[in-house]
Amino acid sequence: MKSVETEIRFKLNGREVCLKVPVTMKTLAMLRDKLGMTGTKYACGEGECGACTVKIDGKTVNSCLMYAVDCDGREVVTIEGLRTPEGLNPMQQAFVDHGAVQCGFCMPGMIMQADSLVENNPNLTREEAQRGLEGNLCRCTGYTKVLDAVDAVVEAKKCCGRC
Amino acid sequence: MQEITTYLAPRRLDEALQAMADGAATVFCGGTDLAPQTESGVRQYTAKLLNIRRIEGLAGIEVRGDKVRIGAVTTISEIRCSPVLAEIAPVLVEAAEHFASEQIRNAASVGGNLCNASPAGDMSPPLLVLDASVELACWRDGAVQTRQVPLDQFFVSPGKTVKLPQELLTAILFDRPAAGFVGRFRKSGPRPALEISTVSVALGARVADDRLSDVRVAMGSVAPTPLRARHVEAALEGKPLDAATWAATIAAAVAVTAEDAKPIDDVRASAWYRGHLVRVFVEEVLNEVRGN
Amino acid sequence: MEKNATVTPIAKKTLIGQSVKKPDAPDKATGKTRYINDMVLPQMLIGKVLFAGRPHARIVSIDTSAAEKLPGVYAVLTGKDAAGLKFGFVRDNVALKDKVRCEHDEIAAVAAETEEIASHALELIKVEYEDLPGVFTPEAGALAGAPLVHDNFPGNKSLHFEFKHGDLAAAEAASEFVVDSVFRPHHVTHCCMGTSCAIADFDHNGKLTIWTQTQYPYNYKMDLAPALGINPGDIRVMQPPVGGAFGSKLDVYPYEPIAALLARKTGRPVKVIYSREEEFKAAPTRQAAIIHMRTGCTRDGVLTFRSADVLLDNGAYTSWGPTIPVIMMRTTSGHYRVPVVDFKAQAIYTNNPYAGSFRGYGNVQTTYATAQQMDMLADMVDMDPLEFHLKNAQLSGEVTPQKSFLRECALAECLETAAKASDYSQKRKAYAALRDQPGRYKKGIGLASSIHNAGGAKIHKSDGIGTILKVDDYARVTVITGASEIGQGIDAVITLIVAEELGVPVEHVTIVNNDSDIAPWDVGVHASRTTFIAGNGTRRAAQKAKAQILNAAAKMLNEPADTLELRGGSVVRDQCGTPIIKLDRLLRQMHFQAVPELVMVTDYYEPNSEPEGAKHISDHSAAYSHAVHVAEITVDTLTGEIKVDKVTVAQDVGRVINRMGLEGQIEGGIAIGLGYALSENMRIEKGMLRNPCFRDYKLITAPEMPPLDMHFIESNCAEGPYGAKGISELPTIVIAPAIANALYNATGVRIFNPPMSPETVARAIHETRQAGK
Repeated sequence: MKSVETEIRFKLNGREVCLKVPVTMKTLAMLRDKLGMTGTKYACGEGECGACTVKIDGKTVNSCLMYAVDCDGREVVTIEGLRTPEGLNPMQQAFVDHGAVQCGFCMPGMIMQADSLVENNPNLTREEAQRGLEGNLCRCTGYTKVLDAVDAVVEAKKCCGRC
Repeated sequence: MQEITTYLAPRRLDEALQAMADGAATVFCGGTDLAPQTESGVRQYTAKLLNIRRIEGLAGIEVRGDKVRIGAVTTISEIRCSPVLAEIAPVLVEAAEHFASEQIRNAASVGGNLCNASPAGDMSPPLLVLDASVELACWRDGAVQTRQVPLDQFFVSPGKTVKLPQELLTAILFDRPAAGFVGRFRKSGPRPALEISTVSVALGARVADDRLSDVRVAMGSVAPTPLRARHVEAALEGKPLDAATWAATIAAAVAVTAEDAKPIDDVRASAWYRGHLVRVFVEEVLNEVRGN
Repeated sequence: MEKNATVTPIAKKTLIGQSVKKPDAPDKATGKTRYINDMVLPQMLIGKVLFAGRPHARIVSIDTSAAEKLPGVYAVLTGKDAAGLKFGFVRDNVALKDKVRCEHDEIAAVAAETEEIASHALELIKVEYEDLPGVFTPEAGALAGAPLVHDNFPGNKSLHFEFKHGDLAAAEAASEFVVDSVFRPHHVTHCCMGTSCAIADFDHNGKLTIWTQTQYPYNYKMDLAPALGINPGDIRVMQPPVGGAFGSKLDVYPYEPIAALLARKTGRPVKVIYSREEEFKAAPTRQAAIIHMRTGCTRDGVLTFRSADVLLDNGAYTSWGPTIPVIMMRTTSGHYRVPVVDFKAQAIYTNNPYAGSFRGYGNVQTTYATAQQMDMLADMVDMDPLEFHLKNAQLSGEVTPQKSFLRECALAECLETAAKASDYSQKRKAYAALRDQPGRYKKGIGLASSIHNAGGAKIHKSDGIGTILKVDDYARVTVITGASEIGQGIDAVITLIVAEELGVPVEHVTIVNNDSDIAPWDVGVHASRTTFIAGNGTRRAAQKAKAQILNAAAKMLNEPADTLELRGGSVVRDQCGTPIIKLDRLLRQMHFQAVPELVMVTDYYEPNSEPEGAKHISDHSAAYSHAVHVAEITVDTLTGEIKVDKVTVAQDVGRVINRMGLEGQIEGGIAIGLGYALSENMRIEKGMLRNPCFRDYKLITAPEMPPLDMHFIESNCAEGPYGAKGISELPTIVIAPAIANALYNATGVRIFNPPMSPETVARAIHETRQAGK
């Protein structure tokens, strides 16, 4: 089934992007197939697993459910956009340091969600982190070291506040 | 299969309603229901795809005097984090707490949740208990026309409401509950939230003069639509809170749940278990309301 | 020779037991890693499969003409294109089917320019079916006159296994107590986050390159070749990063030869990738079984016998599901000291989805039975289960009836450690006493253990691994290993071992293990073998390189080789740690001397285990190990919900190598086991899967994961690298019966048919209460 295309303009990881998308295309497919940004993953396509998590105007959503046309005029941040010029951002580094990455397939979505949780709540408790990550499925890690990494970032932020 | 020929993302309500006037527009906001339903083929697009998220006036939670107005595109997250609603209608915030995942809450609109008309829709039981109405708008005779439909008359069957194809749900309205009103929501599942609820129960009542009055009980996933459990309400209306009679009050309410709840067997749960949970939850929320 | 003014000695430090970061983690954390699912090749076409959507049918006709004419379609294949190309353990499968035997049978396949066009083409394929009556349980499949799934397997009989030891009748007669139960371990599935995917490309010499998620790249060639009618030697297996495997990729599944057949037909690379729904329906499952188990003991609580009569739902084709009796019998005969054993298993073909390997491989199912029966017997004998377990726990040096040699056995230590750390015995008594008191929430504590292979499993002709190691002029090490990295962290273990042996930083070690044209043989990632086998292989190769380097150093420096060591990137004097020459400098000197010498070594390591053998009496692993879990739960007796409050783990790991990696494997293994125990369930009704989505197939989520108290027992395995044993399956194996035993402690209810879902538990409690009235 063909659908009409429309032009959208939005900020992607801080840079202006302009492209034409079919109106039924989802943000996940736009990122992966049109923009070659394969960091954001397809793992279910129905908003149940969180592997496709991106930030839109500062809030995390499942990009597999979000219509690409709705990115128009907004700010999208993907996993590729988290790293700083110096290297991995504190959440990404914490995941590496604490052994939270095994096969890694769920990690972009997990890190996006974890990063957002801490950003919105600097006093995030471990229990709140568990609830906040309930929409991110992982089959390898049992979440334990993911939560350790989140705890570490929260602690570090409290300590020096600069991270 | 339908070919989509037009996509619109209007900023003005009248524009949107005019585009919907021929009844042939597919409306979306967060896309959390439209996306999976069209992907799987249970729903088809029409020729016109209409993004209502940018329409001015459809967002926000407003309280004017005793009147509460929640714009249709308000997300579940916005409801969950609203200090106003936390104060006025905590039962609604409680349901928002248990709604899917944060990623879904950030995208899903309360209007979309109601229009999806799932018997399991999480926003319905608390809104029913708040005696809410929905505002439906359409373009007719050259102007924006609105009507209000009480929520307990809104749902027809799974996926179907009384909303006409040319109408747009623009707001949810309810009166600020009277002083002494307490509402609680309970949903099943070992996971805190990421569940299509097997059963949900909301109860609201005015707790004053040591008795329950103005009792509202709503249930999800135990009938083709979310419903007000009128038999249970009748069994509770006016009942005293004192310890001597409380156990009997609960028993009476629980005994009539089967008059209201007609659950089915499906892949998620059996009719037996759903019926069992309804009884458990009714007792729980009653005790919680009394405890307050 | 270096001229030094002041030289700081380099102290001896070991990495063994430390935590090493996984080398690929930074790229994975930034989204940079290209998984097979992300790969796009030039000229690549998308392949899609038309599944039957019905469990048992004759294919009357297939009309592909409309699909072939669709613009953008380059090939349409059906059963006639795969006729005679049988593959599989018993050669009962073909890539595209001649008959429908299960819901996900592959009827046709399309290669097209885009996924959208391929999907549209599938819709245009017209298939006429004649539905046939099906068999949906092994009991039904075994009945006389039952419809046959395969014409050449009469009675729907698939594999059969048996092991007997001792006089069963006598042992029964000598038993004061006998427990007799039927367990029905259920269908679950791997749910790898990366769905099944293969990319195939033939060159014009007729050689196939296949990018695959396989966990066993070498025997994979042998298994794939017959599905294509080519020589296994003409297959190059590429292993890009994968999103999990857990045993689901230990066989060839039809989508792989389908990708290759489409590639051969079109002359272009073809990528087949499953949607999540297709993954649920078509990926292999865990083997479901009906286990009739009896265990007996004397009045004093000494085990007398264990018998198991097992019926397996083979499903439509035979993969690595119905072979699990090989391990089931090891548990039956080796889980505690069992003097008499009687095991038999029969797999029966049905029109259900079929099973492959899945982490725990038959031991998950069997231990669910044995560990609960141990608990039940302890009650009958009126002994504290801990005491009962200890009474029957083997000691180091014992041999099981199947000849498993428990050279280093730490079962007793694991039991004592876990029980002590969790205050098991006291709590068990206390909770049991509260069982019949009023109260909605009940606490329970349950203990379970198991035994598993920890040094490979010689079920194939070889259980070994090849390793090639080179050290270049910059002292950078490349390890070319047969070991596959599937997310389990063998990359971290290998870099740690190389760094340990050669004194180089872990960051200076590169691993090449993803191209079968380059890397040497390994039997695959299974049986918890990779750290043991690849660890030994890597250590041996590194030590060969070290010997070569130190000999060269000794010659150049005129010092005895056995007084030298490699530490901190230098050659040092072992005793005092004084660095004499930087390693990279030495290597360059070796290279550019009159007779050049490069460091390039090879090793092939075969563990000293015995082949399985048809009689199943052999020491088939180079090591065995045990784990004990104590699960503490709170049960909501009204809703049936089980909340796991804490799990205490004591596992014999031999020796901790990479601490962080070890913990991660145990945590992840327990999560998979928890899903099995509490919430995962494939609802297969008349051969059709009713819940092919995450919404209705419930994986464990972050809030449900309990805190773990982990104790690593180091039994120092003589055969293992630095004493290490394999570890990754025991966590998945032991947790479910620990919870089942805890549920019994809390409520008096025992669940023989997992999962212990809220409805199942609520019903069982309700029925028990009704019966009690």
